[in-house]
Amino acid sequence: MRHFAGAVLLLVCAHSASADDSDWRTSGDVTLYTYANRMTLRDDSVLNPYNQIARLPQASDVAELRAGFKLDNETVRITGRFIGSTREMRNGFGTSSRSEGYASLWQVRVRAAEGWNVAAGRDVLNWGAGQFRSPSSPFYFDNGRTDPMRELVGMDVAKLSWTPDMQNSAMLARVVRSGYGAAQPDAWRNSWLAKFDTRGDEIAWGMVAAKAPHLGAFYGAHGQYTMSDELMLYGEWSSSVLPVALGSPADSAQPYLIQSPAPRGNATLAGSSYTFESGQSLAMEYLHDGHGYTQAEEAAYFQRATTQFGLPLGLMPRLLGRDYFHAVWQANMMSETGYWRLMYTRNLTDDGNEFAAYGEITLHAHLSLYALAVLPLGNVRQEAGMLFTRSFTVGLKSSI
Amino acid sequence: MRRIVSLVLFAVSVAAMAAPDAHSILKESDQARGGGLPGIVWEIKLQSHDGDRQDEPQRILVKAVDDSSVAETQEPVRFKGSKILQVERNMWMTRPGLSKPIPISPRQRMSGQASNGDIAATNYAGDYDAELAGTEKVDGEECHVLNLTAKHKRATYDKIRYWVSVQRTVGVKAEFYSVSGKLLKTATFEYGNTIEHDGRRIPFISRMTIRDALIDAETVMEFGTVKVKKVAASEFDLGQMQ
Repeated sequence: MRHFAGAVLLLVCAHSASADDSDWRTSGDVTLYTYANRMTLRDDSVLNPYNQIARLPQASDVAELRAGFKLDNETVRITGRFIGSTREMRNGFGTSSRSEGYASLWQVRVRAAEGWNVAAGRDVLNWGAGQFRSPSSPFYFDNGRTDPMRELVGMDVAKLSWTPDMQNSAMLARVVRSGYGAAQPDAWRNSWLAKFDTRGDEIAWGMVAAKAPHLGAFYGAHGQYTMSDELMLYGEWSSSVLPVALGSPADSAQPYLIQSPAPRGNATLAGSSYTFESGQSLAMEYLHDGHGYTQAEEAAYFQRATTQFGLPLGLMPRLLGRDYFHAVWQANMMSETGYWRLMYTRNLTDDGNEFAAYGEITLHAHLSLYALAVLPLGNVRQEAGMLFTRSFTVGLKSSI
Repeated sequence: MRRIVSLVLFAVSVAAMAAPDAHSILKESDQARGGGLPGIVWEIKLQSHDGDRQDEPQRILVKAVDDSSVAETQEPVRFKGSKILQVERNMWMTRPGLSKPIPISPRQRMSGQASNGDIAATNYAGDYDAELAGTEKVDGEECHVLNLTAKHKRATYDKIRYWVSVQRTVGVKAEFYSVSGKLLKTATFEYGNTIEHDGRRIPFISRMTIRDALIDAETVMEFGTVKVKKVAASEFDLGQMQ
């Protein structure tokens, strides 16, 4: 409520500040996604045998409307992005349906003075060049890039930004709470975030620090170096304390250990991207996540799960393993006629693999056909094969 | 004797004044393409064809200051709201709903034959060393011929041969070369727009036609609703692109 009141206050200030500036511009976009997903679950899953624990949908049909608008002038910018969806899900236990509507993003931003902006709203505070994961963001380690269908929901924040020139910027944000659909209890409620960015001739980098009331501070950094027209090197790093973690001692005779908060851990991502003459690009990334399990700990995690259901799935770490390799080969993102993306992930801790492919072709100026296939290659005690053996999604995207 | 020396000095100074300076020509011609201005906002319509294939028309809104630009797609509608941000040699792309800005390579082209550098304000005087290579007529108009060599890696092209109208001081034709000297593209420029800057009315680019030198492909860029105005640095701040 206080957040909403703040935004209203900002709007009033904005109205006063821009009273002389009647040059308002408006724009908007509406896209309707309709898609169907089929997933082949593993009956012999250790974590979810016969789908008894998670009751995951084996088939789902979804219609989702995503609408955005922008209203701005020289002083004020008001943006919003709203999502309404209805989905029907089926599995061996029956059929269920769910409808929801929410604002995934919205913001009122006012140019307070030369170089200074204040804003309130729901904002995706995500950055860095990493595709597989975003270690340098405290809120979006899973950045959604590996799932082209997914759209992130922003954090509810009030922020003050200082951009003295093209090269440098700094931001201080008060995170009121995590946005719609966040897990409860909300570890990031009433937290602070500070960020500094600089962009040089070929190098861009940033540093971030965040502090939540009941968590140790988060420190992060990201950077990218454009070596040539073709080659870019990049990296992300963080040191963080997670709100909760399921410890898995290497000795499987020992029980799981719930740690809240979890011990401090570091995550590092190093990557490179090469763009071919055609505009296609190949990116390769290595991720080390200190919060993941070692090989022995992961093996013990699955061993214990054979006798203790629910807990290992409910408190599953953000990534099971400690080391990953991820490669993405994708079409020219500027192409107007279509786009494709091939992804490969190898969990270097348990040697499991996952292949994924996404393709989109333009049927008409307003209509695209898209498909996503995910093929994990792993056994029931590897992360890649622990829940399902394949997943396929096909859909239509209509833009208005 | 002193009279002879004075005459020689006078002749030399007159010659120096009369000889056009390549850098000055370039700098003045940049203004008609957005360079050296406090900031520029313009709308560009792009239409490309590659052989018989006609690409969908594009309409983008561009805000640019010096080497920085942000281009927001208005059409086609399925890409509406997509933005390409360029700050020096760093480039990012965002789209509505995208989880975070994606860094992209300078090799990624805008549309058809147009490079990202072509949609931004032109700053050839800052990006290239210029050498005057005589005069030639282009469509009956007397032009300075300038050979441009990139000063740094963020320049869009390695070498350019640039024809600048003697009378109007605007670039009317360009040839773009690779570092090995291979002709990549040619471009012609028209100046149907006018802007006011420093109390002067100056001609401003209205149309740029870029042709591939090797294949039958062409992109026409039409520049409309041109406004010269200061663009805030925050417009180029990746953290405020929402």
